[in-house]
Formats: sequence, C-alpha cells, structure tokens
Amino acid sequence: MSAAGAAQEVRRRAERTAAALPALLVAARRVAATVQQGVHGRRRPGPGETFWQFRRYEPGDPASAIDWRQSARTSRLYVREREWEASQTVWIWRDGSASMAFASSGAAETKADRAALIALAVAALLLRGGEQVALFGADRRPARGAAALARLAERLIGGGGGLPADAWAPRHARVVLIGDFLDPIEEIEAAVERLTGQGAMGHLVQVLDPAEETLPFSGRVRFAGLEGEGEPLIGRVEAVRAEYRARLAARRAALAAIARRAGWTSLSHRTDRAPETAVLALYLALAAQLDGAARARPAAAS
Amino acid sequence: MFGFGALTFMAPWALAALAVLPLLWLLLRVRPPAPRRIAFPAVRLLFGLGEDEQTPARTPPWLLILRLVLAALVILAAAHPVIDIPAAGRTGGPLVLVIDDGWAAAAGWERRAALGEALLEGAALEGRGARIAGTAPTAVGADGRPRFALGALTPARDALAALRLARPKPWPVDRAGFAEAFRGAAADMEDAEIAWLSDGIADTDPAATARFMAALEAAGPVTAWLDPPEDRALALLPPAADAGGLALRAARAAAGAARTIVVHAAAADGRVLASQPLTFAEGEARAEGLLDVPLDLRNAIARLAIEGEASAAATLFLDERYRRRPAGLISGGGFESSQPLLSDLYYLERALAPFSETRRGNVEELIGGGVSLLVLADVGQLTAGAESALARWIESGGVLVRFAGARVAEGVDGLVPVRLRGGGGRALGGALTWERPRGLGPFPDASPFAGLAIPDDVAVERQVLAEPALDLDAKSWARLDDGTPLVTAERRGAGWLVLFHTTANAEWSSLALSGLFVEMMQRIAGLSEGVAGADAAGVLPPLTSLDGFGRLGDPPSGAAPIAARDFAAARPGPAHPPGEYGDSMQRRALNLGGGELATAALAALPGDAAARGYTAARARDIRPWLLAAALALAVADTLIALRLRGRLRAPFRRRAGALAAPLAAVVPLALAALPGDAAAQALSDAEAAALTQQTRFAWVETGDAEIDRVSAEGLTGLSWVLRARTAVEAGAPVGVDPARDELAFFPLLYWPASAGQAPLAAAAIGRIDDYLRRGGLILFDTRDRSPGADGETPGGARLRALLRGLDIPPLRRVPRDHALTRAFYLLDRFPGRWAGGGIWVESHEGGANDGVSSVVVGSNDYAAAWALDADGFPLYPTIPGTDRQREWAMRFGINLAMYALTGNYKADQVHIPAILRRLGETGAAE
Repeated sequence: MSAAGAAQEVRRRAERTAAALPALLVAARRVAATVQQGVHGRRRPGPGETFWQFRRYEPGDPASAIDWRQSARTSRLYVREREWEASQTVWIWRDGSASMAFASSGAAETKADRAALIALAVAALLLRGGEQVALFGADRRPARGAAALARLAERLIGGGGGLPADAWAPRHARVVLIGDFLDPIEEIEAAVERLTGQGAMGHLVQVLDPAEETLPFSGRVRFAGLEGEGEPLIGRVEAVRAEYRARLAARRAALAAIARRAGWTSLSHRTDRAPETAVLALYLALAAQLDGAARARPAAAS
Repeated sequence: MFGFGALTFMAPWALAALAVLPLLWLLLRVRPPAPRRIAFPAVRLLFGLGEDEQTPARTPPWLLILRLVLAALVILAAAHPVIDIPAAGRTGGPLVLVIDDGWAAAAGWERRAALGEALLEGAALEGRGARIAGTAPTAVGADGRPRFALGALTPARDALAALRLARPKPWPVDRAGFAEAFRGAAADMEDAEIAWLSDGIADTDPAATARFMAALEAAGPVTAWLDPPEDRALALLPPAADAGGLALRAARAAAGAARTIVVHAAAADGRVLASQPLTFAEGEARAEGLLDVPLDLRNAIARLAIEGEASAAATLFLDERYRRRPAGLISGGGFESSQPLLSDLYYLERALAPFSETRRGNVEELIGGGVSLLVLADVGQLTAGAESALARWIESGGVLVRFAGARVAEGVDGLVPVRLRGGGGRALGGALTWERPRGLGPFPDASPFAGLAIPDDVAVERQVLAEPALDLDAKSWARLDDGTPLVTAERRGAGWLVLFHTTANAEWSSLALSGLFVEMMQRIAGLSEGVAGADAAGVLPPLTSLDGFGRLGDPPSGAAPIAARDFAAARPGPAHPPGEYGDSMQRRALNLGGGELATAALAALPGDAAARGYTAARARDIRPWLLAAALALAVADTLIALRLRGRLRAPFRRRAGALAAPLAAVVPLALAALPGDAAAQALSDAEAAALTQQTRFAWVETGDAEIDRVSAEGLTGLSWVLRARTAVEAGAPVGVDPARDELAFFPLLYWPASAGQAPLAAAAIGRIDDYLRRGGLILFDTRDRSPGADGETPGGARLRALLRGLDIPPLRRVPRDHALTRAFYLLDRFPGRWAGGGIWVESHEGGANDGVSSVVVGSNDYAAAWALDADGFPLYPTIPGTDRQREWAMRFGINLAMYALTGNYKADQVHIPAILRRLGETGAAE
C-alpha cells in the first residue's frame, strides 16, 4: 500500500471511529452546556476578528482601542468592539519513534498505527466542531475544515520523531500528546514543563502494547530494545514479571503525576482495546478543558 | 586397516574420537540453551531485573541423543568404513590380478570382470597399487616362446580402466608359460597380494598347474576364484562324420547333474539350418548326439555353435573335411548279394561311408548323378562310350579310383595312370614260392598319403605290375617295402586317375581290412574336394576369426598365415586365432575344439591358496551415507534449535508446508524408482481412448531406467522427425509392458534387449503373439553391435532366450528389394548408433499380414541414434559417427514407421517404374 493509500485507510478508519461519537458530542454538550465550539460569534464583544459594535469610550479603555475614523465623524470618541470568536487551536503530537513500531502477537496493530488512529479521530471530531487542528513539528499554521483532515492523515502516516523538545506552540495552545512514554521520565517531564511554561494545556495519552503490559514471555530471553537502548538478558522472565509490572505501574503513576502537576490530564490505552474508548476519554477531557478555558478567558478578558 | 567381518575401517584411528562422546554429553548438558531474542520496546523497564536467576539448562534428552548420534556419525564417517572389501590376504602391498583370459573365461566374463572391478575398487579405496596379468599368451615371440600381458604396477584406479579393456582370448591359457614369465616380472614386487580369477579349467598337464601356483605363491598370498563346476565353460568337440549324419560331441568341465544344451548348425550366411539338443547325462562330462540332416543341408553347414554359450570353443567351423560328397561304386564282380564278404565293394563301402555317401549304378548314371569320386573295383575293360565319358569327367575334376583284380590282370583299357605289364601280375608268397607276402614301404613325401601310420600287419600277396617308365616314380603314391609301386596316380585336367595295384577286397592283400585303407580312401576322397595334398606347399592366410566371445570377425592384426603342410598340426594361439583359413578356393577350419583341448575341471588347488566362488561382492563405501545421515541430522538439529528459540514459531507450519510440497513430489518419484510393480495398473478406457487419438509409437519397458529413457528419447525424436518430414502426425511415444498393457494401439513397438530382462510371462507371450498376428510390428534391438564385427552378437542369444516361447517366424537378412528399403527413402543400409550389421525380417513374406514382416531385428541401438533433445540436436554420438550415418539412421526410422503404417504398399509393382527412375537418377548423381 502506498503512503497515500495508507493515509486514506487510516483516515477512513478514523472517520468510522469518530462516526460513533456525535451522540457523545451531544452528551458532552449537555455536560458542558456553555461550551460552544467553533468559529461562531458569541453575540457579545470579545476577542475576535469580526466587527461587533462601536461603543462610547469609557474611562479605562486603552487608547489604542479607540477607532479614530468613527470618532472623527462625530464629536465623541468611539471604541470599536469585535465579536468574541471562541475558535480554539489544538496541537496534536503523535510519537513516531522506533519503539512505536511494535505489535506483539496479541495486538491487532502497532502502537504507531493506533496512535495515528486516535490522533486522527480526535482531529476529525475537532474539525467537525469547527476547531483548528495542527500537528507538532509539521505545521506552523493550524488548519480547519474537512480538507484539513486529509492533510493530517497524510502527515500522520509518515514518520515523525520523539518528544518535541523544542516544538513551537503558540501561547495558550491546547496540546494532545499521544505516545508510549517509555522514554526516560525526566525527558517527558521536561517536555511537559516546557509546554506548560508556554501556557499550554494538554493531555497525555499513553498507548501501550498488551505485551508491554503483561510481559507474557518465559524462560531465558534476551530483550532487544527498538531504539538501541541495550539488550538485557533475563534468565527467567516469569520470575521478573511481577517486578516489571510494578515498574510499569510506577511509570504510569509518574506520568499521571507530571500531568497533574501541569494541570493536564493523562490516560492510558492498550492496543488490544477498541480505539473508541481512548477517543471518547480524550474527547471528554478535551471538552472539559475547552469548556474551562472558554469560561476562564472572557473572565480574564472582561 | 581394521575390520569387523565385512566392515572395514580405512582410517580406524579416527574411531578414537568416540571417546570424546561422553565429554560432549556433559558439555551439552551443562551449556544452557541459547536465549531467545525478543524485540521489546519497554526494554528500559527491564534493566537490572532478574540478574541472579537463570533458566536451568534443560536440553531435552532426545535432542541430546540426536546430537550425540550426529557426532558419532561424523566420527564413524571419518573412520571411512567400507563394507565387503573383497581383498584376500590384506597384505597392504600391491594387488596383482591374474586373470585366466583364455577361451574358457568367456562364459562368465561379466562375472569375472565384475569381481575384478570390485577387487580393484577395494584396492583403490585402500590406496594400493595394482597390476593386471593375463595367463593366455598375447603373442608368440621370435624365439617361439609365448609372450604374456603382465601389466605394469599402477594405481588401482588406473588398473580399473585397463581391466575394462580386457577381453578373453579365443585360445587356451598357458599357465606353465605364464609361470615362467611371471617369475621374472614379479621379482620386484614387495608384499604383493595375488588374486587369481581362474576359469576353472585344468591344464592338460597337472604339473603345469602346480608350477603356476608355485610361481604365484612365491610372489605373495594367493586367493583363487573359481566358478562352481556346472557354470564352467562348455566346448564343442569336432564332430565325427558318421554314416547317418554328424555325430556332435560336446564336453563340459565336470560331470554333474544332467544338462541339456542346444547346438545350432548354421550356414555360411548365418542361417540356422538345424538344431540338435545334446544331453549330458548325470555323471557324464561328454554329450553326444547325431545331427541328422539331408545331405544338401549338411554340406551347407559352415559352423556349429552352442546356443547361449559365448566362447570361442562353443563355435566350431566345419570345412570340406566334413562335407559328404557322393561316391559312386562300380564292381566288375558278381558276388555282391550272395557272398558279401567276398564282394569287391563291401570294404570300399565301409571305408567311404563316414565321409561320403555311396551310390551304385553304371558309369553314365553315376556321372550324371553328380558324383565326385568314382571307384571301379576290378573292372577290366570299359566300353568305349563309358571310357570317353569318364575321361571327360576326370578332366573336369572327377577322381577315378580303380582297383586291380583278376579282370584287370587279364587286360585293361587305356584309363590307367601307368601302363601295366600283362601276364597276370606278380604273386608274392604262397605254397610254391620262397617269397613272403610283402608289407608296405614308407609313403613318398609328395604322396597324399604322406604322414599316415603304416601298420605292420598289412601284407600284399598279389599285385599287378607297372611297366617301367621314367615318370613311374613320380606317379607312385605308395610302394611295397621292395619299392614296387602299389598305388599309382596321374593328374588329368582338374581330376585324378588313381590305380590301386591290388584288389579292393581281401583276396590279394589284407590292405582292405586295415584301418589304413580307410585313411587312404579319406585322403583320396579329400582330393575330390579340392583339398589336395599336392597343394601342401601353399600358404593359408586367415580369412575370418573368432574373438574370445565366439563372435565372427576379421582376423586380428597378429594373425599369421599357416603353411598348408603344417595345418593339421596347427593349434589355435596368438598367431593363429581359431577361424577359417585359406581363400575363396579352399577353406580350412582351425577349431579350438580340435586337437587336445583341455576341458576338465580344475579339481583342487595345489598349495595353500584359498578358493572362493565368484560372488558379486562389491566394496561399498558407506562413508557418503554416514555423512548424508549426519547432514540430515544437522539440518534437523538446526530446525529444532530454531524452534526452541522461538524463531520458528508461526512460520514453522508455513515452512513445513513449503518443505512438504517438494517432498510430496519427490516421494512418489522415489517410490516409482523402486523396483516392483507398484505401478502395475492396466489402462483404463479413458486412457485407451486417449491413446487412439493419435498415431503413437511405443517402446517396451525393460525395467532398466537408462535403457527406457533412451528408448523414450529415441521414439520422441523419431516422432518429431516424422512430423517434420512426412505426413505422419506421430504423437508422444508411450512405454508399455507387454505383461500388463494392451498393445493394439501402437503400430510400431520398439523393443531394446537388455541383460536384465526376465523371460516373458505367459500372458505377455500371448499378448505379443496376438499383436504380431494382427499386424503389429516389433523392432527388436539388441543394441550391442561392436563396430566392424559381423554376424550374431551376444545380445542375439540373449534375445533368443528372452523370446523363447514366442511364435516368431524364421528370419532372414533383409533383401535388397524389400519394402523396407524403399518405404519412404531409398535405403541400402540400416545404421543406428552403430554402423554395420544388417537387419533381419521374416523370411516368408506373402504369408500372414499381407506379406508384411511382423518382426524386424537389428543390433545397432537405433533409439540412441534417433534421440534428439528439445532443440532437435542429437543426444548421443554415432559410431563411427558421421552426420551422414545419423541421417541414414533417421531415414531407416522413417522407413520403418512407414513400413509399419503402410505395409507392403511400396512393394507393389505399380511403383517399380518410378523407383527405377529414381534409382537411375541417384546412380547418375553419385
């Protein structure tokens, strides 16, 4: 299958996954009734592009807000107000490192494929809601509309790299990070702190293979990392299984702690589960965060 | 070298490595299995885990055993085991093969050669040298002593090639002479081991055998191989010319169980004129039988041969000595019926009967009846007409023998060699005389009686006397001891006039009662056949010779002419191979069976040599098998190891499937290659219907894969050529087994004869008979024509044995105007892979099948000449090998196919003008 074909395939699957969600969207709207997505005017002044109204200058308005042309027609000073547009941009990062290209015998697909699927499904949902979506590393400009999904799909199929160490994201962006997060915990923490420092709010989605969860091997095994980490020899795998699981749980807890400290959310997903669960959870988290931001922003602005 | 029974290790020191096996066991047990290698992204979480705990090394015991077996196999293979090295003394020195390669070795030559090859292969495996010596002389030196092939010491591998070239000689071995030559040659050989491949026939002189064995044993330990007595050579002894026919005599080596052989009498052109079974009674070493054939046929017999016995001694040439010529007897007396013992002709008849047919009558009747010898006993006066008729008859080659008697003494006509004195002749001895009856004096050298032994008791009491004359001495063939001529003779024209000066009965002398009389009459009868004592000065060059297998061929280069005077004493040897000598005018036969041919079995070996039977024990090197087994085990071990490491988990089934496909293809092939009739399955109707869709030729499967393959290739090539050149759209040929398959679908059956074929089963015979009777055509190919040789080949005998019981009509060489010579191409020769030799067809055309011969027999390996590869290039070289020969072979194939398909169409007279015109054109073109 060519890259374009693969992109189309992933997009098709992602749309199908997302197709189950409109009902959830309604439910989410009910949960957060005030959350209005997309580029529709809020019928009240606020930050935005579109002209809303002129109003009389009041003390305290910044001088720069005065519309001098309008003021020149009359003897009063007018301030131009724009309609508040609530369109949000969500920046998505999908781990493209070598360790993602792994699928054990119990999994239907590789972690990379699953991560791409989740990312695209979320993107499809967001685009349908009128939000803007962008990929870390790939674009500088967020895109919107149905055409953006096709472009995203193509980019998600391609390679990609590790954690965006110096990825640029606009201030106060919404960030979704999807990966296995098996890198050293310090690197993850540093990346999240950097993004948080730029004012980003985000979500960590850890995608793991069932074999990574359960360590179903036995006997004498030499494990080889996919990114050249080394090849530890385990004399009896069954003996270390419990300890491995404890380490994995600790890793997950550490990840959750990082997210919590940054005010982010985190969730874990296994490739042998249905992708809808992860998409739904991510959607809910995003919805809650967007809602929170929408409420926080006018307050800050007004 | 080191061996257990039949098993020998060529490198036994390698077996010491077996001691390492227990160590290997320990090592394999201690060493943990190699870890599986698993790619795992979450490897960071695993660092530092479980470093103190290891999976105990549990190599499965069966895998352990497999690996030990593998190691043991390799060690055994390194020790190079060989089964059945047929060496005798195992001295380690060179192996000397002393082969009895005389006539008696031809009978089981294949066995001997196989054993020799086995011995040499064994020696080659052991890295020994070898030399090959033959006990039959190869030449006669200038000093009159025989020369022998003593070989040279070469590596055994090279000696093998020399052995394959060795052939039995058509003369007897000379072990005494060989012993002498061998002593000198073997002096430089250390530590030699002698293997004597004996023919099992004793020397005439027992001391020769003893000397021979002593010479061999002086060189090293001797092992002798002997055939069981019943398998040793047979010899055909010269037949005695008997009144009733030819009394055949054959000898075998040892008196054993009763055995019947068949002797064929063949004409000069190879036609079998008569066959006579001879039975060796139980406990008898000789067999006799009377071959009773009409006189004309009997005189046409040129050779006698034992069927199925390919040796020079099993073939006997008959020359003029065995021809019976009618002799006419006329008596002047009248006692014939009433007092036979007083008759003139009584003794003559008995003296002539062994080699002549006697007739009686008057002169005109006898001359008109074609006698070549006429005896007039005591006929004094012939009528003038009779005298002139006799004179003309003598001029044209007749021999007239007259005996004296009372009437001759009274007066004789002019038809005598010398003038006789009148007066009743001379009486010696008697009551009134002091003289005693006279004996015979020595025969003059020029006389045809020269060399005959003269008995003492022959006395002549009365004789007629010759007038003294200048040429009387030259005309005298025999004299009394006082010098008086007793037999005088005169050459007249091409014939002879002979006069015995005494009577043909016992009245005047006792000559007629003696054995000498018979011999004298035989010599005279010999004159009538053109074998004249007067030509004794001539030289008889070799005309045709037998080779060691009794095949007729041109004389070898070493064959020397024999002086006619020495011919009777000549014995077959390197200078004089058995065969026919002389020229077109006179032929003499030099037979191995003549003279004192030793045919008795070699009873016991002198000395301490060990004797063994010829068993085809062949050294079998089992190292390759061990290595193959080890390799298979190694492959299995690798697969198992991969499986244990998990590398072969899911793909294993797929890979096993991929392996199974070729296996599934190979196993039936291997099964098909196994002998046996696993595939014996008659044709179904559908297959039969498919076979009839196209004209197809078929070959008879011999069971020998190589021959069958050549047959298939040959017929495929022929079918291809037929499609290319003719209107015959021949399909792919088919192999058939007459015992199993229906033959009716095939117009032409190609039947190669091979050594390994079993005689036909009754069902097969019935089917083939039916096929031939209904118009089928079979080409029998004995495939063993040796270049240059003519006449019958050993394969012919084999073919005859194979087809015994089949209703094959008498055959003849294909005549020049046979339909086969012009069915498509005009042909005058029929080569296959070999050139030479004719083909044989039914001799009675015009009988069944509208005169189309149902059998064609040849020996030129036709299929190999027809075989073409996929690109139409020939697969096998022709011998002597020209493109022209290949083309002729193809044309023969096409003609044969046309003959099979169109029968005698081209023999029809309608085509004669066209053929004549073509013949004229080709004649003009050439």
